[in-house]
Amino acid sequence: MNVLNFNSEQCGRIRRHLDAYLSDELLVETTSEVLRHLESCEACTRELEARTRVRDALRKAAVSQVPPEGLRQSIDRRLREMQPGFIGGSPRLAWAVALVIVIILGSIATEQWLRVQRGKRIVASILAIGVSDHVQCALKGHNYPDVANPPEQLRRKLGPQYAGLLEVVEQNLPGFEVLEAHICSVPGSTRKYVHFITRGRGTILSVILTRSEGAQFPNGKAFRSGASGSVNFYEAHLEGMNAAGFESKEYWGFVVSDLSRDTTMQIADELAPPLKVALDAGRGSEAFVIEPQRGALIQPGPSAPKL
Amino acid sequence: MDLFFHRKLRVEDFEAAAMPHFPDLYRTARLLAQGSTEAEDLVQDVYLEAWKSFHRFQTGTNCRAWLFKILFHRLHHFRRRWAKAAKVEAFEGPEDQDSLIAEIPVPQEIRDEDVLQALGKVPIEYRKVVLLADVQEFSYKEIAETMKLPLGTVMSRLSRGRKLLRQELAGIARAFGIRPASDPPRPGESA
Repeated sequence: MNVLNFNSEQCGRIRRHLDAYLSDELLVETTSEVLRHLESCEACTRELEARTRVRDALRKAAVSQVPPEGLRQSIDRRLREMQPGFIGGSPRLAWAVALVIVIILGSIATEQWLRVQRGKRIVASILAIGVSDHVQCALKGHNYPDVANPPEQLRRKLGPQYAGLLEVVEQNLPGFEVLEAHICSVPGSTRKYVHFITRGRGTILSVILTRSEGAQFPNGKAFRSGASGSVNFYEAHLEGMNAAGFESKEYWGFVVSDLSRDTTMQIADELAPPLKVALDAGRGSEAFVIEPQRGALIQPGPSAPKL
Repeated sequence: MDLFFHRKLRVEDFEAAAMPHFPDLYRTARLLAQGSTEAEDLVQDVYLEAWKSFHRFQTGTNCRAWLFKILFHRLHHFRRRWAKAAKVEAFEGPEDQDSLIAEIPVPQEIRDEDVLQALGKVPIEYRKVVLLADVQEFSYKEIAETMKLPLGTVMSRLSRGRKLLRQELAGIARAFGIRPASDPPRPGESA
């Protein structure tokens, strides 16, 4: 049996390094110091041997832990069943991104739908202007004769600014006779209308013009292109009437009747382009300077209203 | 859309990188889990988790360390299902000089089952570090990164873990009448 030369202070210092020495984590200088000490200290050498033996026994025991049969195959199978990895994050993140995109697209679609609905409401409110004049003046007021007034009389009623439009309306409303043409307004509004009351196809049809005063039909999907492609039409069914509207530089035009929607549109499609050309050429540029009696319908008279 | 969400990663590439470490992962899991079933669940979970995040793994880096990091991360969740382990805090603190110098007898014959039994009695936080250092031969730095611990804590846990293992081993040896290696041989025995 060897006699151990145990130096408490020095051995304590070396043994504090033994774990790192065993793991090969010491600096070269410290390793040299440990080795020098071990050469002369049997107690620390035995301690290192004991620690090494335990570590080696642990390694050997750990290696005895063999994965069970079938675990590897089970993992392989599960891996192939799973979705592979995702770029930019986990599948959860991908779902979150997809959800955000759906929300954004949904918001855009909702926004567009609301815009269309808003546009339709604006169109309806503008077309209601024309419909109300047709209903109030032509139908309820019955401000037209059974036999058409002579053209000269109608031209006088329209005044020099709009007299020229009579011919445009007559020529582009085949099958319709112009019974009356005048400038009028409806109760409760200061808006003035150039109103042509016509008869044809067994019904009364109005062609109405009024200043847009800078307002416009909404842009977007609310309109329907005419056959010529030069005019866009806006449609609505109001108060039992079908109305087709269009616009020139300064005017809104309306064709209103109780004919079907397609027929009304077809009639408007023939009339609107030449009427728009005439309006844009200036034949209506000085219109509506008269101030008819507020709230009263202008009765058709033998002479044109004072402009 | 596909390009943004979904890059086709080949499971064969993943397996080529990750499966060579399967035995080591299983061994470590088996020595940290309560039973073989738990270890199998844990290892399977580690591989599925690794596959899911394989796109984040940089080819050429240390796949083994990456897998062990996942192992310990998943172990944390699995342990909630298992029995609570002994609290580490009760064992941590500076070593006193006596405990450093005092020799713990080591049995002459160390059987695998004795080591495994003794290891099972070492609190799990120490066991993890001992397994990584002594079985998997991770460096201190790798252990610190894998377990997200300061280097000093790794060193102290390793030192204390080894000592606890040795103490448990000595206790088991005594219980079975196995003579410590430091005991002088009895008359008639060879040294």
